[in-house]
Amino acid sequence: MVKTVGLNFAYPGEQSFNFPDIDLVPGEHLLLLGPSGIGKTTLLHLLSGILPASAGKIVIDTTEITALDRKSLDKFRGANVGLIFQQYHFIKSLNVDENLQLRQHFPKKIKDKERRYRLAERLGLSGQLKKKVSQLSQGQQQRLAIAQGVIHQPKVVFADEPTSNLDDTNCDNVVQLLKDEADISKSSLVIITHDQRVSQHFSNQIVL
Amino acid sequence: MNLIYLAYRNMISKPLNLVLSLLLLVLSVTLVTFILQLSKQLNGQIDKNIDPIDMVVGAKGSPLQLVLSSVLHIDVPTGNIKLDEANSIKNHPFVGSAIPVSYGDNYKGYRILGTEFAYFESYGAVLQGGRYFEKSFEAVVGSSAAKKLGLKIGDVFTSSHGLLASSTDVHEDHPYTVVGLLEPTGTVIDQLLICNLESIWDAHAHVDENHEEHPGEEHDHDHGDEEHDHESHGDEVDDHDKELEITSLLVKFKSPLGLVQLPRFINENTNMQAALPGFEIQRLMGLLGTGVTTINGIAIAILLVSGFSIFISLLKTIRERRQELALLRTYGLGTQKLLRLVLFEGLLLAFLGFLFGWLLGRLALIGASSYLESGYGYVLQIKGPDLVEFLFLGVTLLIAIVAVLLASTSIFKLNISKTLADV
Repeated sequence: MVKTVGLNFAYPGEQSFNFPDIDLVPGEHLLLLGPSGIGKTTLLHLLSGILPASAGKIVIDTTEITALDRKSLDKFRGANVGLIFQQYHFIKSLNVDENLQLRQHFPKKIKDKERRYRLAERLGLSGQLKKKVSQLSQGQQQRLAIAQGVIHQPKVVFADEPTSNLDDTNCDNVVQLLKDEADISKSSLVIITHDQRVSQHFSNQIVL
Repeated sequence: MNLIYLAYRNMISKPLNLVLSLLLLVLSVTLVTFILQLSKQLNGQIDKNIDPIDMVVGAKGSPLQLVLSSVLHIDVPTGNIKLDEANSIKNHPFVGSAIPVSYGDNYKGYRILGTEFAYFESYGAVLQGGRYFEKSFEAVVGSSAAKKLGLKIGDVFTSSHGLLASSTDVHEDHPYTVVGLLEPTGTVIDQLLICNLESIWDAHAHVDENHEEHPGEEHDHDHGDEEHDHESHGDEVDDHDKELEITSLLVKFKSPLGLVQLPRFINENTNMQAALPGFEIQRLMGLLGTGVTTINGIAIAILLVSGFSIFISLLKTIRERRQELALLRTYGLGTQKLLRLVLFEGLLLAFLGFLFGWLLGRLALIGASSYLESGYGYVLQIKGPDLVEFLFLGVTLLIAIVAVLLASTSIFKLNISKTLADV
């Protein structure tokens, strides 16, 4: 599902990162564990194709995304990749439900109200659907970010430090939610974190 | 959930910013559409009013005033002329028709015009009901005047002296009876109460006799005798005829030569003056035209500044929404779609501004209409957008498109990875 070979990235005039090869079979989940400052976010951006690699190749599903032009890459990412960022990003002018509608609409033009409502229910956001994003609590925003990552049933979901600000109980809950939702969406889940607490949930781990 | 909806939501997400960036555009569109409509409608209406009349002959004074008062009925007359002098022009070979008009009274601000049947014909006015006047103190009422005054056939009203509604000098002993109502013509005739010339003479002869010539009680008897003489002796009728006055004579030429010769002849050889409505109105519009051009110039300048303000507002929006735009890129939207998103927002903004401005312009027109109606009896029509306004909308949208293209260069340089990682 996700396969990388000889991946390297260098910021202009700064340090360069070499990443270990990844080979993830479909339906499997993966934890990428490593301390701060070794380019974890960079790796996630490389894998999701929002940052072009300096060298090496990345294959997602059966598509070599490092070989795609920008337009095809945008399309491919929109349809097949789900992203959960460390900092949450939403469209502030839209309410919670509209944010999810928007994610469903691009680029596959799906309209699936039932899936949105089921997902919101599982994530405890049912009562929040008509609210503005800015009215949500921190925890609700986190769950909305998860919803955003999986609502369009991507092939693979990348999550960047999803547990960094959570206590132990919530940490377990969020990781479980992520795994459950990924399973329901039939997506592979790739979590990248420095948080050791997450490691117990994953059999498949790569330490960076 | 398409781009247009998203653009709309983005646009209204900060109402105060929206108002600020629309203000100038609204102001400019209001000014331009209002001035365009006003000058167009006034010109059209005036053209229609002066069309049946080639020349006005009246008392000496300002020719423009003569035209404004006798043709458009929005000014006071220059004075009176003798009927027999006016009649001498009637017989000139170049003159096609010559209609005497006499006025000086009003009913609740609507002018009472003494004239002949030909006046109706010249404006193509036809009866909606009733009949034309046959004797003195029978009035045929124009459609707007009838509507405003609530006059119906058979109604009786008394005129008051002067042309303003505020006049208290009422000719109570000579009430008019409404005998006919006119169809709307879209000309000045809609605003008039029309009777025969004799009505005006009689009403005023009586006033003059009562107040000036025969102030004493003992003369009342003589007065009666005089009227008796009047009817029996032909000489005296002629004498009286010489004293009869009208306000002006409305002339239509038979031959274009009349236009060349008659005005000069009248102005040089008689106590009267001849004024050409077409010429005078053109002169007036030339003066007003400078004002219209100036206001339009100011409005266009405001429009350009408003384009700049839309540009600044979009630039600010794009900077503030950098992360959202980057997020949309991860959703699979290419730079072209993001550009389209901003374009939609800019166009919506411009369209909304235009719409509000246009509506305000029409509102101003309604205000101007009620002012003009109470002051001058002119009614402006409130119509849908015309061709010029559609062109103006096009210009506005074009300015918005330029503003978007200038503001959106940063979209092409957007670094998704860096933008999303920034807190």
